[in-house]
Amino acid sequence: MGEPAIEVRGLRKSFGQKEAVAGIDLEIAAGSVAGLVGPNGAGKTTSLSMMTGLLRPDTGRVLVNGLDIWADPVAAKASIGVVPAEARLFERLSGEETLEYAGRLRGLPVAEARSRAAQLLDVLDLTADAKRLVADYSTGMRKKATLGCALIHNPSVLFLDEPLEGVDPISADMIRRLLTRFVASGSTVLFSSHVMELVEQICDHVSIIDKGKIVISGTTQEVRGSKTLQQAFVDLVGSRASDEEGLSWLGSSSS
Amino acid sequence: MARLLVQLKFQLLRNALRSSTPAKASFIVSTTFACLFGIGIFVILALLRGSSASVDLTTVILTLLALGWLILPIFAFGLDGTLDPATLALYPLRTRPLAVGLLAASATGAWPVANVIGLLGVTAGLAHGGLGLLVAVVAVVLQVLFCIALARFVTTSMARLLRSRRGKDLAAFLVIPIFALYEFVTQVVPRVAAEDKINAASFAGLDSWLRWFPPGLAAHAIQDASGGRFGTAVARLTLLAAIIVAVGWLWIRALSRALVTADTSTQSSQVRAGALPLGRYGLRGTVAARFWIYQRRDPTALVYWVMTAVIMVAVSISSIVGRQTHPGIVIASAVFGAGFVGYFHANSVGMTGSPFFVEAEAMTDRRSLQAYFSGQNVALSVVAVPMLIAICFGLAAAVRHPIEGVTATAVALAGLGAALGISNIVTVLLPYPMVKRAGSPLRQPAQGYTSYTLSGVGFCLLGVAVLASPVIVAGVLTTADQAAVRTPVLLLCAAAYGLALAWIGVRLAARAAEDRLPELCQIALQSSL
Repeated sequence: MGEPAIEVRGLRKSFGQKEAVAGIDLEIAAGSVAGLVGPNGAGKTTSLSMMTGLLRPDTGRVLVNGLDIWADPVAAKASIGVVPAEARLFERLSGEETLEYAGRLRGLPVAEARSRAAQLLDVLDLTADAKRLVADYSTGMRKKATLGCALIHNPSVLFLDEPLEGVDPISADMIRRLLTRFVASGSTVLFSSHVMELVEQICDHVSIIDKGKIVISGTTQEVRGSKTLQQAFVDLVGSRASDEEGLSWLGSSSS
Repeated sequence: MARLLVQLKFQLLRNALRSSTPAKASFIVSTTFACLFGIGIFVILALLRGSSASVDLTTVILTLLALGWLILPIFAFGLDGTLDPATLALYPLRTRPLAVGLLAASATGAWPVANVIGLLGVTAGLAHGGLGLLVAVVAVVLQVLFCIALARFVTTSMARLLRSRRGKDLAAFLVIPIFALYEFVTQVVPRVAAEDKINAASFAGLDSWLRWFPPGLAAHAIQDASGGRFGTAVARLTLLAAIIVAVGWLWIRALSRALVTADTSTQSSQVRAGALPLGRYGLRGTVAARFWIYQRRDPTALVYWVMTAVIMVAVSISSIVGRQTHPGIVIASAVFGAGFVGYFHANSVGMTGSPFFVEAEAMTDRRSLQAYFSGQNVALSVVAVPMLIAICFGLAAAVRHPIEGVTATAVALAGLGAALGISNIVTVLLPYPMVKRAGSPLRQPAQGYTSYTLSGVGFCLLGVAVLASPVIVAGVLTTADQAAVRTPVLLLCAAAYGLALAWIGVRLAARAAEDRLPELCQIALQSSL
């Protein structure tokens, strides 16, 4: 294994009294699909924002392909693509214009940006809606358009926050295949999710994060052991709900 | 059902009092305003006692209040949780009790109560004698009922539309006539009134139309009863009640339809343009293309341009309609126009909102940030330059001093450069999140950032005035010179000066933004548009 594609050292971030990320270390090998899983509010989105240069960490370093994203943002940001949890798209551009804009912002020549946009729209099954305004897109369509924006400059590392939320099963399958193909060529994917089945299926590296700390990190096989990932996750993070004894009336629709 | 919904409304009001300090403050301010409004209307209506035009004026005031009820809910959609039938559609409710409940909930709250109190002013102003008083009270109740039923009917039948993107766009455009009307009323009416062009006769003319509308019926019923024509008063009130019943029936029909039909948000149209323009000009062209598209497709952007135009006209209006003209006023219009172009874009990061992340990911060094700001300025200039020139010459012609148009245009060009440069710097140094708050179709600064907005206005207007002053001086001093020489020299020099100012602004803004990009990004992400 050569130089890790993503290397995170001692990443911390507090918002007032609350420590959202309490010291994260992470190493993701190039050419792998890594999953960052954790319950709601564990610090996944905050960590990803700091790794992608959108949120200044209190302390810690983030290296992408050996380049410090906070010390040398020009070079580091050129090689990453980001899909945030909530689609952040220009509502008044059409899908086609959105992708072309993302490509041209990244310095692609106009013709290249246009042809890549068209191809991505085709693969993402958005060609029929290419001329509609993003404001009129559904959640899943926005997610797909965001993915297109993140891929158009052919990044070597892709960060995704909840990539399949709101995406229909057919599109989800397509995105899965797209990511697999992307990684097969040597690129790296880091994504956060709470859909354990997905993580289990496509990740070869899993990190579980809870209360701002990495609880366990390793290959998918190491993390889950003999159990399913779902079970391993619940065992590690701990079941939060008390036994539902107060709901005795629930489920008996006789009354 | 009615009790439950009224309780819900009280609960919402109580929660407003318990929530964060700014929300509490705005609630208290709103309630205070409601009280003052109620008392004010009461006093105005009461003071009409004995006036020869009292019934005419009462009719006009009642009609204006009804119009307020008609228009405000379109903006306040979402302000009142009970306004949107969709929030209640999930519950197994029958339409009739629901309708009564919603009416009762509408009548609960500071503003409806203030309305009733204010309208009771007619008992002092218009009514005479016992019968007159009785009819006045009934008329007030019917007038408020009419207003509520009308407001409910409008919001319910527009609920589908207002929930969709197009409807919200449409509501944004409604700001324009209201803003223009406000400027008209505050600028023109006092001047015209001072010149005695508004008098009792003009209200009588209005009244001859308005008396046949429901508010007019209420006012004239009181007048008739006070004058002893009890029969006609009852007839008018009966007609009014019948109209209320009809509106109520329409509303209930709209309600039962709205509960089961989908909103129109899934229907959408396509854009014609195939690709982004300005491909040849690199990052600057790319950013300019995006801003240019937004100037056309974003209703807020269009509203800002029209507001700028209205402000420019309003500044000069005294010389256009008044007796004494000050041709120099057109120069003030130019300063205000340029200043407001700057102010409206002085928070471009907050206004762009979360998509700014796409741009921030691609921008890293100072050079790309310069391209970003200059691209933005280019796109805005494409709209602003022709607009400012046209308005300056138009106003100069209106005050019958076309020569002032040249000076004003020169000032506008220099001022625009200054305004854009300042707006770039303010964008970086004083960014604040924008939110689309219930109650307004336009974006507003998030809670706690109002002082930023005020500083933005101050910086832009003062900065433009100061930086454009050399051009103003040069323009005024050379007015007598030969136009064929003066015009091109003045305009070219002013344009070059403006360009230089804008360029300095872009450079300063880019330098400041270089280290603050993540912070700008966080501000943008806090915007909810």
